Amino acid sequence: MGLITEKLPKMMAGMPGSDIIFTRMDAVINWARANSLWPLTFGTSCCAIEMMMAPGASRHDLARFGAEVARPSPRQADMLILAGTIVKRMAPRLRTLYEQMPEPRYVIATGACTISGGPFIYHSYSTVRGADTIIPVDVYVPGCPPRPEGLLYGLLTLQKMIRSGETVREPGIRHKPVTSETPEGITIEDIKSEMLALLEKDAVVDVRKAAEQMERPTGI
Amino acid sequence: MSTEQEEIGNLTQLLQEQFPGAVQSYHQHRGDETVLVERSQILPICQFLRDDERSKMEMMIDLTAVDYIKESPRFEVVYHFKSLSLEHRIRVKVRVPEEDCEIDSIHELWLAVDWYERECYDMYGIIFKNHPNLQRILMYSQFEGYPLRKDYPIGRQQPLVEMRPVNERHDYGEL
Repeated sequence: MGLITEKLPKMMAGMPGSDIIFTRMDAVINWARANSLWPLTFGTSCCAIEMMMAPGASRHDLARFGAEVARPSPRQADMLILAGTIVKRMAPRLRTLYEQMPEPRYVIATGACTISGGPFIYHSYSTVRGADTIIPVDVYVPGCPPRPEGLLYGLLTLQKMIRSGETVREPGIRHKPVTSETPEGITIEDIKSEMLALLEKDAVVDVRKAAEQMERPTGI
Repeated sequence: MSTEQEEIGNLTQLLQEQFPGAVQSYHQHRGDETVLVERSQILPICQFLRDDERSKMEMMIDLTAVDYIKESPRFEVVYHFKSLSLEHRIRVKVRVPEEDCEIDSIHELWLAVDWYERECYDMYGIIFKNHPNLQRILMYSQFEGYPLRKDYPIGRQQPLVEMRPVNERHDYGEL
């Protein structure tokens, strides 16, 4: 930003007609949007502490990326940082908040609970398995909770996504940047089936067998 | 257990004298006394424990329930009281059967009891009689059943809003 607002005018100052610059509409609009993402103050559990650290603490200053102005009203916010477990009682309120935000609106899901339900994925009567079953999510930041650096990387990824969008011709289309790649020969289906098998293996516990295999305490 | 049962604690003895026949069983462990009392006597017993000079339970620490699904009576409501001035504690237990799942509310004695009883009702379905506002406190009012009962189906989901299908979770699309 400093390049465009400070250095560029000085460089162009000596040239004739230098106070007019031609550029793409998309580039200007996306540049403005990506650098003034105002987050909504929304934290439901422990990830919210980490989210408060990111804009509030001096070492991880979110203001460097233009996203420090946490808004208490969804009408003034561009970005929703989901921080913490979403329970079923919260789900209608979350969807209302999302719908009250003006377009274009972006959602970052931080932490295991908002991505998939986290530790409550097995048998919970109250937890939503992933916030993206309620509202669409643009960027996922894994961790429990993620480090502030992780949240900053998520924000930068979102900015990258906004900058690569076609704002004028196709305003609804979002190009999601690939943040990590799968190795050669492994498909998403392989990873899914392996994850399911692991989950089932973890969830089924034979208590009696485990108790019999335990060592008996001796010498009492 | 049997040796502990023989040593009767001061508070237990006090309750036995004051309410003959109401204390069904008792034991103590490392100085903390536990009494199992009659269901109909819970309100006068709590009143006595709070007001009497020898017990002086100023503080209600906890109220919860246990679901012993294979036993009868099925539920057990557990109260924990503490005396700040005399520095002693007591645990009072009451058995509540499933078919007549009611017990007297003690919200008049300690104001803090109000939300504990609502939570207990919410999770176990135990009805506290004369409670001023016995509604669900943690779950939503449309929720059916009581989730901490042992016979609540473990995988049963009751979402409030309809879930949207998630296709894009691993599908980032083209860059």
